[in-house]
Amino acid sequence: MAGAAGGVGQTGVTEVYTAASAIAIPTIRTVAADLAARADFDLDSIADLRMAVDDTCTRLVRLAACNATLSCSFAVRVERIEVTAEVDVNRMMDPLPRGSFSWWVLRCLADEVTALVLPGEAGQGGRVCIILVKQALSAGLL
Amino acid sequence: MSSSVSPTGTEHGDYAHLAALQRRYAELPATDPERQRVREQLISGYLPVAEHLARRFAGRGESLEDLAQVATIGLINAVDRFEPDRGANFFSFAIPTITGELRRYFRDHGWSTKVPRRLKDLHLDIRSSQTQLSQQLGRAPRPSEIADQLEIPMSEVIEGLQAGEAYRSSSLDEMLGEQANTTLGEFVGDLDDELAIIEDREALRPLLAQLPPRDRTILALRFFRQLTQTQIAEQVGISQMHVSRVLSQTLGFLRERMDTSD
Repeated sequence: MAGAAGGVGQTGVTEVYTAASAIAIPTIRTVAADLAARADFDLDSIADLRMAVDDTCTRLVRLAACNATLSCSFAVRVERIEVTAEVDVNRMMDPLPRGSFSWWVLRCLADEVTALVLPGEAGQGGRVCIILVKQALSAGLL
Repeated sequence: MSSSVSPTGTEHGDYAHLAALQRRYAELPATDPERQRVREQLISGYLPVAEHLARRFAGRGESLEDLAQVATIGLINAVDRFEPDRGANFFSFAIPTITGELRRYFRDHGWSTKVPRRLKDLHLDIRSSQTQLSQQLGRAPRPSEIADQLEIPMSEVIEGLQAGEAYRSSSLDEMLGEQANTTLGEFVGDLDDELAIIEDREALRPLLAQLPPRDRTILALRFFRQLTQTQIAEQVGISQMHVSRVLSQTLGFLRERMDTSD
């Protein structure tokens, strides 16, 4: 882990690199929830971010090439956190097809969701990336 | 012996011979070596009752073997304390005794890791402050707002929130004690309109049908009605933390099964 966001109002970037394995996911989502709590996110937003990161990482781990590294970066900004999670893949595939249930769920959990597919140089394989933006306060419809 | 147990518990059928044994057990003087043998026969005879009750508490984070053991302890207590000449039915005495033992076990072991007493108390303070502030603010509170209300440093709130994650509130106070709002079932009965936006809804629909109704309602309120967890907690009558756990579990369940159809 590199860098660490400190007290309330403090911004910064925390990066976590792990093997692209399901075993790492509880650690990663805990980091996400902890950063959100320290950035004074409301408890709904903390829980949503935790779930969104869990979902994102699970998705990427399933697509990951053998021995790939899962890279997650958490940028704590004023009243929001930007999460970028990426992994090398053998097969180019949209990690979040528009209209899929996962896409819908992530759109509900995060304020912005972007999925990127970056082709590798040799034509085969490449890198997939999911970017989430989560605001500090949840606004529900009621 | 069959392992089926009538929940109303009549001392007929499989258990009829045990009722006679029960009277014998009560009559035998404490020093009689026969007494120990009868006691063992009673315990093993009624064991299916304990196992049945243990299974009812399964799926809440504790292993079935552990639960069966706890239920057996409850059964042994029931066998030892039951007084047949008082005219009561053994089951009406044993079932609450065993269930009580299981509840106590969940209350004491609801924490998945060893959490110091101080953190458990802190966690409870945070939860009650959270409920209060949610009502005042009309949204979930921030950690700093909880810190202000409890007059403790924010670092302690964060510590308490983390401790809360170690609490698998399979806690029966929540699982059994809380009264979920049943009218919500009708409210979310038909999801067809909401599902129209989901392209893989045909794969999703049978999975949603497999969910317990309350979990399906919570999922629908969050992802189709777009309520926050705090709003759902209030409507369904459970804590926000509990809503969060239900949602995580339900999403995990759906994700696992949806992906095989990708």
